[in-house]
Amino acid sequence: MISPISSIGSIGAENRVAGAAGAGAAADADFGQVLADVAASTVNTLRAGEAAAISGISGNAPVQSVVQAVMSAEQALQTAIAVRDKLVSAYQEVSRMAI
Amino acid sequence: MSPVHLFALAAQHANWVSVRQTAVTGNIANANTPGYSALDVEPFSAVLNDTAATMARTAAGHFEMVRDGAAGSGSAPWEVRDTGTQVALDKELMKADEINRSFALDTSILRSFHRMLMTSLRSGA
Amino acid sequence: MIDPLRAATQIAGAGLEAQSTRLRVVSENLANAQSTAKIPGGDPYQRKMVTFQSEFDRLIGSSSVSVTSIGGDPTPFEVEYDPGNPAADADGNVKMPNVNLVIEMADMREASRSYEANLQMVKQVRSMTTMMLDLLRNG
Repeated sequence: MISPISSIGSIGAENRVAGAAGAGAAADADFGQVLADVAASTVNTLRAGEAAAISGISGNAPVQSVVQAVMSAEQALQTAIAVRDKLVSAYQEVSRMAI
Repeated sequence: MSPVHLFALAAQHANWVSVRQTAVTGNIANANTPGYSALDVEPFSAVLNDTAATMARTAAGHFEMVRDGAAGSGSAPWEVRDTGTQVALDKELMKADEINRSFALDTSILRSFHRMLMTSLRSGA
Repeated sequence: MIDPLRAATQIAGAGLEAQSTRLRVVSENLANAQSTAKIPGGDPYQRKMVTFQSEFDRLIGSSSVSVTSIGGDPTPFEVEYDPGNPAADADGNVKMPNVNLVIEMADMREASRSYEANLQMVKQVRSMTTMMLDLLRNG
């Protein structure tokens, strides 16, 4: 759980260190893309978890694969929530900054 | 498929499994009753086909499935049929085992997705 | 609507009771396997048999079981020649109980097995109820 969050954080740090305003603008686009990808993959993992649960209930899937899919969904969701929470608290910090 | 559909499906299935458990318990209790033939519930797939249509009609969260106008009559919503065969104790015990596994899966799924929903609703900031 | 799991517990309970009665009757038969009559030429102990009946409950969607009656086995008594026996008639014949040890032992085994199966249902329903109620528990 810790490593996905820190990996997202480190991507942001690398982009800031890289530099100049021009590079900064490109960095925003990259970070945005990263977030979009995380969101998309989370949604897919969640959908896969639901689908596995439904076929598990109908008795069409082996229990082990259902459990695996649901666990992955839980992990993906927790990650996404952690990212969301980080973003929200970062935004609040920024908005609190004295001008 | 929304998560709401999954909760209703898991709950419905758990209910179906419970009714099956009652039928199997009745069979085992009557294993030595002369002239008694084993009972069993109709397959869940028969219920599944109705689910889509009924879910569309009923309000969200109303998951008491009733069939053939049996609403509120208190009878079991899934038909328990007479199979016409004698009770075989081993077969009934095998069914009971399957019921146990199936029910455990339903409750585990309900717990996981409920937990996921609750954590996503929690404010993290 | 009746809770199916609760109904199942009641039915399993009825099954346990029925099989217990059956076991008790088997014990009685075994205990009296040699009980001859008190008076000369009289009838000895008559083997007892249990009759079960089912009752389908539409609300529950299943059947419970109960013991209708404990009747006598009409199988004729075996006759042994034993003039010294107090129950011997004028010809020295004694009527012996119509209890067959092999049959009683087989019956006892089957009754025990049925009893265990009913007990397993009680345990299973209990565990299913626990699984469901645990969903309400936090965490």
